[in-house]
Amino acid sequence: MNPKRRLFLMKNPYDLEKSRAFFLDAVKADLEYHRTNCADYAEILKEQNFDINTVKTENDLYRIPVIPTLYFKRNRLFSIPEEKLVIKAASSGTQGLRSIVGFDKSTLVCGILMMLRFLSYHRLISPLPTNYIVLGFQPSSHTQMGAIKTAYGITKFAPALHREYALKDNGSGYSLNIDGIKNALLKYAKSGFPVRFVGFPPYMYFLVKALKDNGISLKLNRHSKVLLGGGWKQFSAEEIDKEDFYQLIEETLGIKKANCLEFFSAVEHPLPYCKCENGHFHVPVYSRVIIRDVNTLKPVSNRQLGLLSFVSPLVSSMPLLSIVTDDLAVLHDGSQCGCKIKTPYFELHGRAGVQQIKTCTADAAELLGGTLNQAAPGLLVESNAAVHPGGERI
Amino acid sequence: MNFISGKLLDRKHSYEYLDKLSELICETYQHKTLPVQRVISACDTLSELINKRDHLPLLLSLGMNESKAHSELMLVKLMLSREYLENRLKAEFGTDFETYLEYRPFGSERIVRQEWKPLGVLLHIAAGNVDALPVFSVIEGLLTGNINILKLPGTDDGLSIAILQKLTEIEPLISEYAYVFDYPSSDIESIKKMAAPADAVVVWGGDAAVAAVRNMAAPNTKIIEWGHKISFAYISGMDISDEDLEGIAFNICDTNQLLCNSCQGIFIDTNNYKDIMEFSERFLPILEGMSQRMPLKADPYLQAQKTLEMNTEELESSKMGKRVFKSETCSITAYKDDCALEPSHMYRNCWVKPLPREKLLSALLKYKNHLQTAALVCKENDRPSLEAMLFKTGVVRITSGRNMSTTFCGAPHDGEYPLRRYMKIVTYEY
Repeated sequence: MNPKRRLFLMKNPYDLEKSRAFFLDAVKADLEYHRTNCADYAEILKEQNFDINTVKTENDLYRIPVIPTLYFKRNRLFSIPEEKLVIKAASSGTQGLRSIVGFDKSTLVCGILMMLRFLSYHRLISPLPTNYIVLGFQPSSHTQMGAIKTAYGITKFAPALHREYALKDNGSGYSLNIDGIKNALLKYAKSGFPVRFVGFPPYMYFLVKALKDNGISLKLNRHSKVLLGGGWKQFSAEEIDKEDFYQLIEETLGIKKANCLEFFSAVEHPLPYCKCENGHFHVPVYSRVIIRDVNTLKPVSNRQLGLLSFVSPLVSSMPLLSIVTDDLAVLHDGSQCGCKIKTPYFELHGRAGVQQIKTCTADAAELLGGTLNQAAPGLLVESNAAVHPGGERI
Repeated sequence: MNFISGKLLDRKHSYEYLDKLSELICETYQHKTLPVQRVISACDTLSELINKRDHLPLLLSLGMNESKAHSELMLVKLMLSREYLENRLKAEFGTDFETYLEYRPFGSERIVRQEWKPLGVLLHIAAGNVDALPVFSVIEGLLTGNINILKLPGTDDGLSIAILQKLTEIEPLISEYAYVFDYPSSDIESIKKMAAPADAVVVWGGDAAVAAVRNMAAPNTKIIEWGHKISFAYISGMDISDEDLEGIAFNICDTNQLLCNSCQGIFIDTNNYKDIMEFSERFLPILEGMSQRMPLKADPYLQAQKTLEMNTEELESSKMGKRVFKSETCSITAYKDDCALEPSHMYRNCWVKPLPREKLLSALLKYKNHLQTAALVCKENDRPSLEAMLFKTGVVRITSGRNMSTTFCGAPHDGEYPLRRYMKIVTYEY
């Protein structure tokens, strides 16, 4: 069996030592595959004088030319003819620029194997019929947003009785489905089957806050779960203390903190990262995380702030082998966490761009917003207009 | 926080005032006027209170370097002083601002008396990325005697309310002429309520903000746009002095390319990629030298963004006819044949593009109403024809590189006198 297949078939997604037997080989094979099949990628490797022989151990992975997620928003880079893609996804593009990525059958097979192993480990695969509240968009023919596909995909891991969407497809766009969510919730509570909430954290927060404000307190099936991913984006000002949030969920829905899971992923790096009981994103065997210096993109040591970058051989349709996101993060040694997972974990520290309190993201997504680059003549000014370059989380 | 009738109020209490905003405003209208001299006196007192010891740390905390903070503080002090404001009014309105003009119109028998009057009520929707801009917009509204409603930008740092609070302490009458609401832009219902009594909405921002306001405002509400603008340098002839280039470098480093009058990039009067490359190689050490003398506060988030942008540009360069010249703190992206006028990556990263003079007009006309300042560097005998061509493109200021973002008392903004836009001319015709 080839090293890539063995990697993605590994039973324990956090057995780092075992994965070392095939990870490097899988990466090298992936690199050669893309070099042969994607002329632009071969050109990038050549321009940077990259020699694969300099990658002798996992410590050398940083040498593989790294591509910013921004590059995929402005350029298409495929290693197979586009008509052979079986699935396409776009980042949610808060800033207006979207990455278009596409996956072929072989990537999908590896991805499904990986997700089955990964979700089993986190006890998310269940034979119990389940009702879903999707706190995001309903899938439709007029959008390719990766977040929608991920949310929908997650509803496949326990057989769905019913799915209700917070943003419902009305044929040409989306409308807010408050009544639908409310009615579905009451119906689900009565039915007694487990309920899974899937989607963006701020929507979940608005939901439980609305329940609390209206004095609604439900006792959902104990196998119910809250699965969150996608960060807070334009609602960052609303980001609240995590403990308060989980307490609110338990108060209003009867779902305990242990059943609330938060995920990280990116359209340009479609791998799962799940927060452990201590709130840490441990790195599964399918990838390696490198935190890179904000000036030189060289690796920095653990506990130092830098750009979050990944190496993974998952995707064969595009050279997404070594990418750098626009998230700033810090990597820690796994032993510092204290949970049963021993792989390194990363902590997110905001996005590249202007100071966190003043990103343009907040207003840009709002009706009266937009990227502003404007001032009165000679007034006291020091502005913070910026366009974020990197990958959208899904 | 919201600031209404001289009091700081939380969101809940502010809603009560929002609901009766029209009545409150009518009450003020009915019984009071705001004489310009009272506003000037209050601003002048505030100007005298501004001092380095108390206020320099505030600007430093916003991320400015020491010399920039010092010059900005002195500029604000100057701009709020009585002499400055009086001269500004004189520049914009002539001598008849506080009095009236009486004349017999051509071909008419009647005597006409003419006066400047405030528009009435202004709703200011200010840009969120510029410190203190909201309060300066309101001060302009006050100087012209208007009642001002300010919707704070989502990212406001409290500076605007602090300044208005001080002004109302000095001149209590101002408390009835300034309402500040700190609501999110998504709260459309509340913004509509703010707009309801407004005679005009003053909107600072990009095309999206302007379009949203145009969409929201009632047909009988005037919209005063201070929209998105972009500025650049135009260089003709390769025998230009280092001093001229240092002026452009100064503007790029001084403003970090964040303002509407900041230099985003440089057009060269050529068709030849070799000239573009040679110029970029020459300009890079000049820009870097200036940048080293005007250090930016270290910020890993900003640096990370620059690195990602530049790395992406480099990856794209071989197949897209461009080349990135990088130095320690800045960069230049040289283009072979793209002459699109684009914002730069800011923070000391500019572009250099070919734009021969015969294409100047055709290439820039499509940016109508978005052009603002052009720094012109050329031979003296070329100057008149290039100036004429630049003004035809829609540019409203032509300057040296060093003067791109400096102002003067009574300067027009985007081709207009700002205070005049907040007033109307009324006539008495008996």
